[in-house]
Amino acid sequence: MPDMRFAPPNPLRIADCASGLNAVSVRSYNERLVLSLLLQHSSTTRLEIGEQTGLSAQTVSVLVRSLEQEGLVAKGEAQKGRVGPPTVPLTLNPEGAYSIGISVGNRHTDIVLIDFVGKIRFHKTLPNPQLAQGSNHSEFLETIASAVKLLPDAERERLAGVGLALPRRLSGGMDEEAYFKALQAEIEEQLGIAVFVQNDITAAASGESMFGAAKTLSDYMFFYLGADLHGRLVLNHQIYNGNSEVSFDVGIAALERDLSAQDKEVDPLWDRSGSWPDYGALVTDWEERLISQMRASLHGVGQFVEIETVILSSYAPESICQDICRKLEAAAPDIKAIAGNIVPAPKAIGAASLPFSSRFMVS
Amino acid sequence: MRTILCYGDSNTHGQIPGATPLDRYTLLQRWPGVLARELGTGWHIIEEGLSGRTTVHDDPIEGALKNGRTYLRPCLMSHAPLDLVIIMLGTNDLKARFGQPASEVAMGIGCLIHDIKELSPGPGGTVPEIMVVSPPPMLDDIKEWENIFKAAQQKSHELALQFEIMSDSLEVHFFDAGSVSTCDPLDGFHINAQAHESLGVALAREVEAIGWK
Repeated sequence: MPDMRFAPPNPLRIADCASGLNAVSVRSYNERLVLSLLLQHSSTTRLEIGEQTGLSAQTVSVLVRSLEQEGLVAKGEAQKGRVGPPTVPLTLNPEGAYSIGISVGNRHTDIVLIDFVGKIRFHKTLPNPQLAQGSNHSEFLETIASAVKLLPDAERERLAGVGLALPRRLSGGMDEEAYFKALQAEIEEQLGIAVFVQNDITAAASGESMFGAAKTLSDYMFFYLGADLHGRLVLNHQIYNGNSEVSFDVGIAALERDLSAQDKEVDPLWDRSGSWPDYGALVTDWEERLISQMRASLHGVGQFVEIETVILSSYAPESICQDICRKLEAAAPDIKAIAGNIVPAPKAIGAASLPFSSRFMVS
Repeated sequence: MRTILCYGDSNTHGQIPGATPLDRYTLLQRWPGVLARELGTGWHIIEEGLSGRTTVHDDPIEGALKNGRTYLRPCLMSHAPLDLVIIMLGTNDLKARFGQPASEVAMGIGCLIHDIKELSPGPGGTVPEIMVVSPPPMLDDIKEWENIFKAAQQKSHELALQFEIMSDSLEVHFFDAGSVSTCDPLDGFHINAQAHESLGVALAREVEAIGWK
């Protein structure tokens, strides 16, 4: 019987595989644990990782060294504390991984390229493709390809994938799901990039959770203000969709109808310029209806869970979202309402967070 | 107070390049001294370096006393409880008399790690933190030591990777001394005062990064 202590070494991670990202299959559960902590908190230490995962300091040391070699994690300068030994912060390396996110909205499609800490490196808004004309996705492919080309050659292999944020609606007899499936297959086949698909509202919630206003929150009600108003409940970082997909017609489409009825200019509602003209009382009236619907949703959820925080995410101007949040807080004093801050394309950035969560985080 | 044992060979002993084991850098110049200075109060650093020490071999020429394995256990017991054991060995295993490839030297390091874990000389009988430090690679010109270290130079470049694989396998801390220091041209395999300084400083940062409550 050989003494198995002296069998050939079997490293947790092969120490010298320092080039590029490792394949999905070899990323261990423990590495995902460490990366999850880093994606959830902007900075941590080996001590905190050990405390939160229950892994020994030596195991954390091996994992972190391997992630450093892979270029995913960067070691910061030691911070001298008032008491005790200095702490050495660990952060994600922004250039460690990239991701492309695509969201298909009411009228426009947003495409973003983000780095590992969620910074937008590229953003383009295109008109939605004409579904009736068949399955020519060349616009998408070209835009994705041009986003990929922004990365220097050496960093292309650091692209974690493409996230697609898709609306649930099926409209006008056209099967959007089939279209999206075809799009996914085409991207994977023609560009050789892994594609991950998610509902667009859930994607926006993921984006705020990973990179935005909800980064430090674990429990909250998430609203997305688009053409319609959508809600998601987030408990312990998990995003819940109800079984019935409910959206409320009090969103920007409702405002558009009000404005059209008064012959106002409506195009600024849909662009991504970050500001709307002063529509005066028409916006105030619309906000009241919107807030009353948000309160009704909160009331419904409040029968089961106590909600203290609301995140409102939208591509609408930040000033509008902040105004809505202030008014919601005034109407419901127990609630803290926070405007999302992953502007100007929360759904696309949320879509881009999907390859990161699929490849680097524990589910 | 936390206690660190620095277990090594002539490069922990502080032997001056091109000189004899009796010619040492001063206590404060040697890397364990630099480590003590950098870590500051609250740390007790024990320097345990022996010229010619191997990982697990009785040296047929210099004697069984050079065997790092047999001396390690009583040494650990003398100084327990230990919070951290730093092992920097491997160069002497590359002497022609042992005929070992770098991977076998790493097996010797693995053996020492198993011994430390088995003895558990940490606080309250726990396994202490263990850090393997791979020595900086030898220079091509090792002067009159060429025959004793026949063909060792190439192997010395492989130690860092082999030690890291072993450290990963056994889940212990690892540091490559070659990333911050080089051997001195006077004999090609000893480190000079400047290298002791950079190694001590770098190891202090590594020790801090482990994270201590």
